[in-house]
Amino acid sequence: MNFRALLGVAPLLVVALGGALLMVAEAFSRRRDDDEHGPTGPSSELALATAVTLFVGAIFSAAVWFVGPEKIEGANAVAPYIVVDRFTTFVSFILCLGAGLSALLAGGYLPEHKLDRGEFYPLLTFSTVGAMILASAGDVLSLFIGLETMSLGVYAMTGFRRTSPRSTEAAVKYFLLGSFAAALLLYGAALLYGATGHTDFDGIRQALITPVGKPNRGLTLIAATLVLVGMAFKVSAVPFHMWTPDAYEGAPTPATGYMAVAVKTAAFASLLRVLLGALGHPDLASWGSGWPPVLAFLAVLTMTVANLTAGRQESVKRMLAYSSIAHAGYVLVAVVAMPKAGAESQGAVLFYLLAYTVSTVGAFGALILCGSRGAEAVSYEDLAGLGKRHPAAAAAFSLFLLSLAGVPPTAGFFGKLNVVKAAIGAGHIALTVVLLINSVLAAYYYLRVLVYMYMRDPAPGAPIAKPMRSGYVAGALVLAAIAVIGLGLWPVLPLRVALAAALAAK
Amino acid sequence: MSSYLPLFLLFLIAAVLAVVLFTLATVLGPKNPTPEKLMPFECGGDSEGSRFVRPSVKFYLTAILFVVFDIEVVLMYPWVVSFKSLGWMGFVTMASFVSLLVVALAYVWKKGALEWEK
Amino acid sequence: MSTVPVEYFLIVAAVLFVVGAVGFLLRRNLLVLLMSIELMLNSVNLTLVAYNRLHAANHAGQNLAFFVIAVAAAEAAVGLAIVLAFFRVRKTIHSDEANLLKN
Repeated sequence: MNFRALLGVAPLLVVALGGALLMVAEAFSRRRDDDEHGPTGPSSELALATAVTLFVGAIFSAAVWFVGPEKIEGANAVAPYIVVDRFTTFVSFILCLGAGLSALLAGGYLPEHKLDRGEFYPLLTFSTVGAMILASAGDVLSLFIGLETMSLGVYAMTGFRRTSPRSTEAAVKYFLLGSFAAALLLYGAALLYGATGHTDFDGIRQALITPVGKPNRGLTLIAATLVLVGMAFKVSAVPFHMWTPDAYEGAPTPATGYMAVAVKTAAFASLLRVLLGALGHPDLASWGSGWPPVLAFLAVLTMTVANLTAGRQESVKRMLAYSSIAHAGYVLVAVVAMPKAGAESQGAVLFYLLAYTVSTVGAFGALILCGSRGAEAVSYEDLAGLGKRHPAAAAAFSLFLLSLAGVPPTAGFFGKLNVVKAAIGAGHIALTVVLLINSVLAAYYYLRVLVYMYMRDPAPGAPIAKPMRSGYVAGALVLAAIAVIGLGLWPVLPLRVALAAALAAK
Repeated sequence: MSSYLPLFLLFLIAAVLAVVLFTLATVLGPKNPTPEKLMPFECGGDSEGSRFVRPSVKFYLTAILFVVFDIEVVLMYPWVVSFKSLGWMGFVTMASFVSLLVVALAYVWKKGALEWEK
Repeated sequence: MSTVPVEYFLIVAAVLFVVGAVGFLLRRNLLVLLMSIELMLNSVNLTLVAYNRLHAANHAGQNLAFFVIAVAAAEAAVGLAIVLAFFRVRKTIHSDEANLLKN
């Protein structure tokens, strides 16, 4: 047993052990009564500890990156279950960053809205562990374990407001559809195992390529379809998106933010590994007889339906949910371009996930900041005149929305630019045009928030959302804002890192 | 196909026996119904209340904890079977797994989920 | 003694999976939906174990089945807890009445 080998999986171990410690600490800490002590309950310190754990995980990911996973002897001792490469390391970094920021948001939100129970933080941490396993899984076994670890935590966080009919309903819907999708994916994987005799992605691909004892083509197609449907559920691509708006709206906002960034990032990372690994057979990855046209169809459907529906929402939170579906569509465009544009396109996916993570956490954080106990900011009307009442919150919200809309010089702009470049490089002109039209459509509902904040006055007598005060939320917003602007002003270096990460994924 | 024959015979005999016994009991048995005899049998006492008794939620919590911890044992069977070939590495791995379970048990205990009367 | 052909197991598993999936899509009782999901996962296990006989070189199928059993138990625990929370708030376990969140 080589202890250097542990360095490779250090980010995962740090977060997992941190989660276990948090769980014990939460159980053994003395409870303070929520009502007497106001909004500084026992979970405030837990939020900080969780954020620190997750940021340490991010730092370890960065450390593994600088050492170079390929140079660590025995780092892949548990491959293919946990594959340690630059791709894993990069995605782990994004996941820890997004989850850590969500933990900070929770530290402000939960006490403010009388949800001050510490269980949220171990759930968040363990869910992140699952997401990291999912992103580094090179085998169906670890893929399933990671997927379920991640999802079970998120289901519980969705239903965290146990007395609220909406929160429990969201949890029920999310749980049922999520488990159904997982079962479909697993049955597909079982059939794929039957066709090839392997559960690891490399083995599956090679068995599909070798002409000897060629696996049954019909069985393979059914299996691949089931797997792709299961993954489409997880990345919430239309028409498998029904759970998304409900779950996002019903969940406490920090949980929504976490779902929007970490779950989606891990699911896309895993989708990339499955498509390039298990289904990377040239036949299956060709436009004529494989998955790219199917995913292209899904991408067009996802972008268009999500953007058209988002424009009709009256709740800002639900609008952000549809916006996250639309962003899944943009990423799918880059995924479709993968077989032709290669690493450039995978790099675009990874960079987009990073840019999307910081922008989305920021947007949900700003939404949290705009509300306070008993007066959560939900609708557009709630935000009317916010620019005058609370310029800082309004400015932060505007920045993140502009990034989501893809306005330069923000992170979102370069994310989209790279996707467009990859799609054109692969010759998917029609897809690119659809993406651009959709970006214009999306600008409508993002800018509508800005219009309400800066150009409308609240209707007389209408309930106004009072912004809350929280160092945690403010801190998370500052970090996210730095990242959004930083990625927007100096995109070259992060993009090069994303490309290097993309090259590692076969 | 011949290997299924005993199984088939078993099912056949069981079915025939059940039908025969029920028929004989119905045909031969004396019938003298009284209101007491027609009452649902409940260990001699009078039956009370509705047929649907909602079990307490306490059962749910205990049951679900039992299921989770019980199923984890499934992962130990393969380890036991190949105990010798896995050696110390296998032992250490299983020990860390079990210690995680112990942490979970301590958590459940501390949270009071094991208290029957609260 | 002759053995049962692998195909028989696979067909049973496929039937179980379809029963589970159809049950999930048609039934309205949340507990029945949970059971349908469990049925689907169990059919996956049967498929894996049956295929393992064809690919006996490494016991990948058996391996995966063990983990699926363990994870399914955890999933059932969380699912029941969520349904219980739903029942406490809404006094029903009918999925049709989960209709507060709509466009």
